[in-house]
Amino acid sequence: MKREKRIKIYVVILLIIMPGFLSGCWDSHELNKLSIVSGLGWDIDNTGKVTMTYQSIIPSEIKGSSGSNGGGEQKGGSQLSAIQLNQDTGSSPYDALSRYTQHASRIPYYEHTQIYLFGKEGVQRGIYPFLDTQARNPVSRPKALMVVSAEEKASDILGIQDGMENIQAFGMAAEIKLSATFSKYPEVTVLQFQNRLLSKTTAPIAPMVGIFEETGPEGKKIRRTRVVGTAVFKGDRMIGQLNERESSGLLWAINEIKIGFVMIPEASMEIVSAKSKIVPELQGDQVKITIEIDEESNLVEYRGHQDITADLVHELEKGQAKEIESQVRAAVEKSFALDADVFGFGEAVHRKYKKEWKDLKPRWDDIYSRIEVLVKVKTHLNEIGDVNKALIKD
Amino acid sequence: MFRLLSQKMRRYRTSSSDNQTQAKQNASPKYLSKNLEGNLQVLREELGQSSDVIIRDMKISSNSDVDGAVIYIDGLVDRNLLNQDILQPLMFNLQVIKDNVNQKQSKLIDFIKSSVLTVGQISGTEDIDTVIAGVLSGHTAILIEGVTQALLIDTKGWETRNVDEPTNEVSIRGPKDSFNETLRTNTALLRRKIRDPRLTFQSLQIGERSKTDVTVAYIKGITPDHLISEINQRLKRIDTDAILDIGYIEQFIEDSPLSLFPTVGVTQRPDVVAAKILEGRAAILVDGSPMALTMPFLFIEGFQNPDDYYARPFFAAAIRWLRLLGFTLSIYLPGIFVSLKAFHPELFPAPLLVSVAAAREGLPFPVALEAILMLSLFEILREAGLRMPRSLGPAVSIVGALVIGQAAVSAGLVGAPMVIVVATTAIASFLVVPYADAGALLRFLMTIVAGFLGLFGMVIFQLEILSHLAALRSLGVPYLSPVTPLKLRGLKDVFIRAPLWAMDRRPEFLDSSDKRRQSPGQMPRAPQTKPGKREG
Repeated sequence: MKREKRIKIYVVILLIIMPGFLSGCWDSHELNKLSIVSGLGWDIDNTGKVTMTYQSIIPSEIKGSSGSNGGGEQKGGSQLSAIQLNQDTGSSPYDALSRYTQHASRIPYYEHTQIYLFGKEGVQRGIYPFLDTQARNPVSRPKALMVVSAEEKASDILGIQDGMENIQAFGMAAEIKLSATFSKYPEVTVLQFQNRLLSKTTAPIAPMVGIFEETGPEGKKIRRTRVVGTAVFKGDRMIGQLNERESSGLLWAINEIKIGFVMIPEASMEIVSAKSKIVPELQGDQVKITIEIDEESNLVEYRGHQDITADLVHELEKGQAKEIESQVRAAVEKSFALDADVFGFGEAVHRKYKKEWKDLKPRWDDIYSRIEVLVKVKTHLNEIGDVNKALIKD
Repeated sequence: MFRLLSQKMRRYRTSSSDNQTQAKQNASPKYLSKNLEGNLQVLREELGQSSDVIIRDMKISSNSDVDGAVIYIDGLVDRNLLNQDILQPLMFNLQVIKDNVNQKQSKLIDFIKSSVLTVGQISGTEDIDTVIAGVLSGHTAILIEGVTQALLIDTKGWETRNVDEPTNEVSIRGPKDSFNETLRTNTALLRRKIRDPRLTFQSLQIGERSKTDVTVAYIKGITPDHLISEINQRLKRIDTDAILDIGYIEQFIEDSPLSLFPTVGVTQRPDVVAAKILEGRAAILVDGSPMALTMPFLFIEGFQNPDDYYARPFFAAAIRWLRLLGFTLSIYLPGIFVSLKAFHPELFPAPLLVSVAAAREGLPFPVALEAILMLSLFEILREAGLRMPRSLGPAVSIVGALVIGQAAVSAGLVGAPMVIVVATTAIASFLVVPYADAGALLRFLMTIVAGFLGLFGMVIFQLEILSHLAALRSLGVPYLSPVTPLKLRGLKDVFIRAPLWAMDRRPEFLDSSDKRRQSPGQMPRAPQTKPGKREG
């Protein structure tokens, strides 16, 4: 009886102690044994070899720049002190990624990767293998941004120091987010990209980043990155791109306008709020889409010399509506030319006409370019303020 | 497992106390004889040869030959009182009524008691043990030849500390008195706050050798009877040689001696004790200890502070939230930091991760070890600051703060974020003083668990703590009440502090006999003026 009890106690103690050794330890990774990857580049050449470019953070350099012993050396131009670029080539993305074991002192850590950058050359061959690796691996985040390089190779862009940010990929992510906030180019996360890919009819999109050269002080050439357009995909291949105007039109149509600017020849407006809706209508085999846009803005610049009256405000509103409409039209025409449903018209029809969709879906590519698109823009100009009189009159 | 251990301990305890009570019953009480010299002989033997025991022979009244003796302990009695109100009347004033001396000597003692001595508290006894106990607690005994009774006169008067400001529990608006080491002073402080005739101080002596006075304070009709009898039972079970501090009592009567959490409240403030008694609790005061115990003690009481009730309720509620936050931080913060750094760096926001990684660069120890090191360092500093001689204070704080804090970081032994975390934790732990010691131990355990198992381990450990807390009882009241078991009315004084006029009932989880504290609906309002009827 007593012995049994004692054994019971031993068992309980053992049970309490054992889990400590059983689990957890292999999962522990101290920060100074990790190399935090801020951006990941992907390229594929014509033989099918995949090259992955990592941009990793060098923590000790970060410390130097913000800590006590910083300030000694001036960081300028294209000096990349806080990041390090590594490249690996393999037959598949994962094969390339796994080659760090041959040269790295630390394990790459992808949880905080902000940017997946795809080389223009490779992206035309299809990025499916990468997307598969990305989706299967629990370490990578679906909130990372998809970016297409306007240069041939992704690695060209990952090495460019851009202005204020000492971690280039973080800076690039901020750049793209800023352009999306001001409604210039879309910001596309991996999750959004995958959703568009899964819907079959909708074409995935991603912003494109290119390099441009600037002449700095003392005639030095400084290379910087800049968002230059929107890549349009069909399936996992890139088939074309939208320019600045078309990209804005796309954002207007898919209700992605947050704030931003509308410029017409005589004035500039600052968008306060905007809403849009895609309303499909099915007449037999003919699909009619109405894009309804409701916009409110402030006048921030008027180039004419008239006093501002109710009539003039009305005129400006009309001009603004025309400008928005023409942006949307440009996007629509480009998408018809590419035959890529970047707006998600197909999904809108699907939502409204569930029964008919079964019949329409297989023929959607044919139907798409014949869609009749109507753009209705309502604009409202408010808060003109007290500056109603022109400063200089004609 | 703990239950098993405690059962064993309980069994051991009861069996040993049985033996001793048997031994005690064997000794039969001794009574005084008629022979004064014999009685004094016995007393001398019992009290030993101590130099502070004074036995003064005398003649009762200046012109009779009745022998008597006064026995007291020098230092425990008030000499003025002894000289003027006992010795003088006995030796001089008695002659006026000389006739009485010739009466029967047993009547003499009644006469002295009723007409001669001008002192408040006098009692007669025939038991020698009672005489000794009385003398040892500061009474003066008078023995008279031919009388089998001794008079015990309360002449207590020794050097005491004044009633000072409370040093451990500071209040901004509340009263600034605190208990001191004299039981009578303490009961008086309570009596001055509650003038209810039903406020009862029930006394007993504990300690085979120390014979310490212990008093249970409660209000009849508010504190339920079963609580009082339970406390009495627990106190009577104590069988030890000395009670030197109230902590001795606490450890003998608490509900869960093996728990990290206290199930008996300790305070040095009479106003706190008064408030708790009025809510239906009982308090225990011990002679020689400037603290009082209150029972039952619930978890949430640790977060309540007298100033919560003296100031207006809004800020009090906010501060209470701050205390809850501070307590939580003091237990979990180092653990969370360790597990985020060592197991789940993905949970850091990216910019924070970069700066944390930068600070982590080049540090030699694993982060868990680093945390434990810094936590231990803090505990060392704290303990040294507490125990060392006052004059060494500045030296230790300079070495502690500057050398260890600053130098450790710049020498690259520990990271600066870890110093911030440990410092925050250390300060936060003193927001809730009653749990500061339990919190310190839990913090270490939590950090160790985090170092092995990350957040996963912390969650499991946290569940263990919660279930332990939920199982605790204080005098039969669940420790986490009124949160669980949930008593909605009781929540008025948990996460918020309801206005005083809204708290018209006593906490119902205490099951007090008188439920109402005040009449409801006393919210103050502006006087209603009738329209048209204005002054002036």
